Amino acid sequence: MTRFKSTSLLNKIESAPPDRILGLTDIFNKDANPKKVNLTVGIYKDNFGKVATFPSVKRAQDLVNKNYQSFQSLTYLPINGNQDYSKNVLDFIWNDSCQGLAHNYLLNDKINFVQTLSGTGAVALAAKFLSKFISKTIWVPNYSWSNHLNIFKENGFQYIKPYNYYDDSNGTISVDEWLSNLKLNRSQTDITSPQCILLHACCHNPTGIDPTKEQWKTIINTIYELNMVPIIDMAYQGLESGNLIDDAYLLRTCLSKGDWPNGLYLCQSFAKNMGLYGERVGSLSIVTPLNSNSNTNLNIDSQLKPIIRSFYSSPPGYGSHVANQVLLNKDLKLQWFNDVQNMVNRLKIIRLNLFNNLKWHDLIDFERQHGMFYFTRFTLKQVHHLRNKYAIYLTDDGRLSLSGINDSNIDYVSEALYEVAKL
Amino acid sequence: MSQITIFNDVPQLPPDALFDIKKRLSQDTRPLKVDLGIGAYRDNSGKPWVLPSVQSAEEKLKKDPNYNHEYLPITGLPTFTSGAARIIFGEDYDQERTISIQSISGTGALHIAAKFIEKFLPNKTVYLSNPTWPNHKAIFEGQNLKTAEYPYWDAATKSLQLNEFIQTIETAPEGSIFLLHACAHNPTGLDPNKEQWSQILDTISKKNHIVLFDSAYQGFATGDLDRDAFAVRLGLAKLQNVAPVVVCQSFAKNVGMYGERVGCFHLVIPNQSSEINKKVKTALNSQLAKIVRSEVSNPPAYGSKIVATILNDPELTKQWHTDMITMSSRISEMRHKLRDHLVELGTPGNWDHIVNQCGMFSFTALTPEMVQRLEQYHAIYMVSSGRASIAGLNEGNVLHVAKAIDEVVRHFATNNPKL
Repeated sequence: MTRFKSTSLLNKIESAPPDRILGLTDIFNKDANPKKVNLTVGIYKDNFGKVATFPSVKRAQDLVNKNYQSFQSLTYLPINGNQDYSKNVLDFIWNDSCQGLAHNYLLNDKINFVQTLSGTGAVALAAKFLSKFISKTIWVPNYSWSNHLNIFKENGFQYIKPYNYYDDSNGTISVDEWLSNLKLNRSQTDITSPQCILLHACCHNPTGIDPTKEQWKTIINTIYELNMVPIIDMAYQGLESGNLIDDAYLLRTCLSKGDWPNGLYLCQSFAKNMGLYGERVGSLSIVTPLNSNSNTNLNIDSQLKPIIRSFYSSPPGYGSHVANQVLLNKDLKLQWFNDVQNMVNRLKIIRLNLFNNLKWHDLIDFERQHGMFYFTRFTLKQVHHLRNKYAIYLTDDGRLSLSGINDSNIDYVSEALYEVAKL
Repeated sequence: MSQITIFNDVPQLPPDALFDIKKRLSQDTRPLKVDLGIGAYRDNSGKPWVLPSVQSAEEKLKKDPNYNHEYLPITGLPTFTSGAARIIFGEDYDQERTISIQSISGTGALHIAAKFIEKFLPNKTVYLSNPTWPNHKAIFEGQNLKTAEYPYWDAATKSLQLNEFIQTIETAPEGSIFLLHACAHNPTGLDPNKEQWSQILDTISKKNHIVLFDSAYQGFATGDLDRDAFAVRLGLAKLQNVAPVVVCQSFAKNVGMYGERVGCFHLVIPNQSSEINKKVKTALNSQLAKIVRSEVSNPPAYGSKIVATILNDPELTKQWHTDMITMSSRISEMRHKLRDHLVELGTPGNWDHIVNQCGMFSFTALTPEMVQRLEQYHAIYMVSSGRASIAGLNEGNVLHVAKAIDEVVRHFATNNPKL
């Protein structure tokens, strides 16, 4: 055959590396070791190793199933999403969680809101929008969720810069370095053109360490002075303290600072705190200054819609109907708050039990260590050793997803961690 | 340093035509209003219809003790993607050459295709039929790709412009990309016949073009999955030693999964040695996964689980086939009723194209001002191109619609010698 003209380009395509997190689950599934333990993905598992649906979500699901037709399940949602969901999420995030600080923005319709395909969809949409209209430069913490770079690179950002977040040598946050880093850079660039910065709202992924609330104030003041545009990735609201409202402190800190001239961007997800992972339920909010032009929010809305329309037309319905029920119904909402508290309690117990076995003090440094992940600071070699010798899977950066540990495997995991730490 | 005005220059874009119709319609208070806009099936009482096969699949799914909301793999639910490939390519499809990735319905599949082309086949022009679904252009141009048109619909004769179409295939730069509607062409409802398909695909093969099939209506057009997959399968056969073939498949219409966003992107690589096939497939799969990961991480689970349940249960599959016949035959009946009423009313012009077209839509040949008058005076909504979603017709409104069309056609008759 000599007619392969159209295929020649395809033959040159090289294999992209497998995803650093989800790709590992494929390898894990093929591992024949009966003792294998998957501590990679951020999915909450109960003490029986099961991905259980939260009681509140189960009840919401039953309501959706029962009133199936009236939810118009299966029919197309509007481009920007389920309107009931939007109303209730807007209320939960910007009223409940912000404790009145966003009141004027809500009152004056200064918040653009879009239902998105979970947090990733929100970050991707924000990236498309920001890189088109505001800035092609974004600062991302080092470390960060491995997919962040991929999202920003694929969705319009040209300059993706790391800022110092974590000090490997002692496992603490390097706020001073982070801020002096930014200040130095901004003194060398045109400060009148804004640059974007990604902030993890709480339960920093992958290190599990967040700045203290005092430190956040300094950080927010500084990035405000430096004319930066905050993109807040809030994937773990509730998983830090067990209290959904408390955990929105970064949002409140930003709002207390005042108007953000180029907008405040919130990418929010119900994947973890409602356990709706695969249903892809989240949102993007853009808060514009109170004194912005009255057409501004309409214009932004009109620009977001064609992006969505050309990406996927309209978002999936089911998950939004379920989440909406949880938020809409007082009983369910209360139960949801309890469900989140229970999840966080179990994560803390795992930390305690691990500490009892290993005596690693940072495991129970609850002041600073938050969420589903514990950052082992293992080298790649140690991570691979753990994987090859013990069939215990962490992500390559040494992130350990705590909820995969339970009564039946904690001793095995502790022993392996202890041995590998000596390497 | 004030940035207060930075957003002030963001220009406002016009609203999406279809979703805007829906909005105007919901605000219309007239008692008899008819939605012939968006392409969604309605039953004879004008209501959205959940297919019986879907209802059974949902019950089965929720009774499963292992049902949960865990993440799907990046490339989607394997039982869904393999089932989707079987439906479009046939039971004995070549798995060694086929990459199937779950997508956010048809739009999501087309978007993956656009991103993929932008990355790996840059500088290629994507040829779209004139007319076509307006979002096609937006999807490809949104990824900085050049689009061009190929002639398709002859408004004067309401038939296929085959010669001009073929000529465009021949003069397009070798290795261009041609987007073809697998069946039930949107918006015209006019498909090439078998001989015409053969000629089109032979010419494409001769010029080493790459075909991208948009398959949004399989089984919905005729009620028969295999019949509606004719063009895709012929294309695969003719191009298997020539060029890759992309298929963007949606289950929005044929399973009624509209709002659950269930679709599949398929890439069938041309046949080379087994070793190369394997290498190319693995590489492409990894690249496509990276694209998905950067926008949605992993696709939504619920709808794909329903479709997978139907495709992997013989009883439910059978029921689904019956459901598709129910839908396609009701639409066909409405086409005939509308045409017959127009003939009885003596509405100026020939209306046979309404019954000759297939799928969800009829390209009525009504002008934009007629469409506007239909909305203003008769509360009948459709897109300005004159595309009418036949599924919006039912026993209760078809005569009203015929009379309204009659009125607007006569109203403008003096200005439109064509009718």
